[in-house]
Amino acid sequence: MTGTETEDLLRQLAPQVLGAVVRRYGHFDAAEDATQEALIAAATQWPEEGIPDNPKAWLIRVAARRLTDLLRSEQARTRREYIAVLSEPPPPPAAGPADPAGPASPAGSADDSLIVLFLCCHPALTPAAQIALTLRAVGGLTTGQIARAFLVSEETMARRITRAKERVRDSGMSFAMPSGTERLSAVLHVLYLIFTEGYARTRADLADEAIRLTRMARRALPDDGEVAGLLALMLLTDARRAARTTDAGDLIPMASQDRGQWNATYIREGVALVTAALRHGPPGPYQLQAAIAALHDEAVSWADTDWPQIAALYELLLQTSADNPVIKLNHAVAVGMARGPRAGLVLLDALAADPRIAADHRLLAVRAHLLEMAGQTTLARETYLAAARQATSLPQQRYLNSRAKAISVYRDGI
Amino acid sequence: MKYMILVYGSQQDYDAMGGNPAPGKPAWSPADFAAMGEFMADFTGELAKSGELVETRGLTAPVHARRIRTRDGGPVVTDGPYAETEEVLAGYWIVECASFDRATEIASRLAQTPGPAGSPGVADTAYADVRPIAEGRDELDI
Repeated sequence: MTGTETEDLLRQLAPQVLGAVVRRYGHFDAAEDATQEALIAAATQWPEEGIPDNPKAWLIRVAARRLTDLLRSEQARTRREYIAVLSEPPPPPAAGPADPAGPASPAGSADDSLIVLFLCCHPALTPAAQIALTLRAVGGLTTGQIARAFLVSEETMARRITRAKERVRDSGMSFAMPSGTERLSAVLHVLYLIFTEGYARTRADLADEAIRLTRMARRALPDDGEVAGLLALMLLTDARRAARTTDAGDLIPMASQDRGQWNATYIREGVALVTAALRHGPPGPYQLQAAIAALHDEAVSWADTDWPQIAALYELLLQTSADNPVIKLNHAVAVGMARGPRAGLVLLDALAADPRIAADHRLLAVRAHLLEMAGQTTLARETYLAAARQATSLPQQRYLNSRAKAISVYRDGI
Repeated sequence: MKYMILVYGSQQDYDAMGGNPAPGKPAWSPADFAAMGEFMADFTGELAKSGELVETRGLTAPVHARRIRTRDGGPVVTDGPYAETEEVLAGYWIVECASFDRATEIASRLAQTPGPAGSPGVADTAYADVRPIAEGRDELDI
């Protein structure tokens, strides 16, 4: 077995092992440390000695032993009290074919991973803490890997994760699926943030991780439309990854991307997912965003894209996400393409009143583009330059400056 | 009639069995632990053969215990409620046999349990309790 095969297996088993240990012994924070140590032991021993016949059982055994050691040294120092949060009694077994595992059997490993994921997205944690804890406890990434992904020191990330685990522990949560939909939205939001972080900073590993974890969530919740929608959105967005940047790292806008480089497999899967999900009733925000992405990915070119349909989908999306300036911005782009640049510019004027986005380079970039489409070249050039000044990364800056330059060259060429 | 035979240990005893000694508790080697395991398997096997064994269990280390109390009408949980030297239930046998004396005779065999070589402490201080199990509420004599 090569190093990466062991690594993949360990990453997959990590949340199942943590789930099993927490289910049996509690102590979420110490159990997570113990699981990490078991994974490290496996990562060093298995490539040499071979993978054990039952790798999951091996990991659980080692982790449980390690947990006992950790508790021994801990309890000499502190005795901890907490208010127990009692889980709801399990639902009565449904009438129908008997579950061969029996109603009293422990939940499957898919369920345990999901429970761990839900625990990591505890409402008491900040989004940054939720993301860090999810990547570690569910994703099986090392603290070092997570620290590098978020450009902080390993020490800082370790502290963040430790504090997050302590807050989960102190909440007295029992190891069971929390009821209600708010927790699922928190989970989906964390996964979405991991993906956008990976996509925005072209960190393929983070984007891939988000997709992997969302697939896991989908396996555990196959009937949830928003989980399917989020997975579809990730696949359809990530499909464009190869075409998005030049070798030098400059960004290529969708209008100019070589669509031949788009990942056809991902697009097929994403389209199938969102089509099936939309059949299940009123679509949530992820399904809508996925539907928009599907329309983009299925178009042969920027010009041939079904802009009226996209604009309509944004209008639907704005009914539930009315306060999201980025969605409003994307809506303005679609309207500009569907109904002409002036219609788009009118929407931008309204959006410019929102202080959250007024000075954002993205709003300025969209305005510049619509002005260019409307033939107002001088104003367009000035706006591109203003956008470049507000840009938050070098590739963005270079792109916006080059757009400004392209207009000047054109003018001088007359 | 049913009786429960109870044996006890402290966290330090468990630690010693795992190879970490404490004052008065010498470390057990893997061979010591294997010998004890063999003895227990024999002990329990005999009871199974005679038909007197109802059930037997060993409990995990005391660090894994939780204590639940009530405060302000709600449950409060404490992790690790036992002190390191506190003797707590480590395991039990439930036997069904002819008399209290027979249950006592069974339990007394536990005095032969082998411990770490050259240790004065284990055999001298270890003990087992035997208690009759109430067959019904009226037997509780309350």
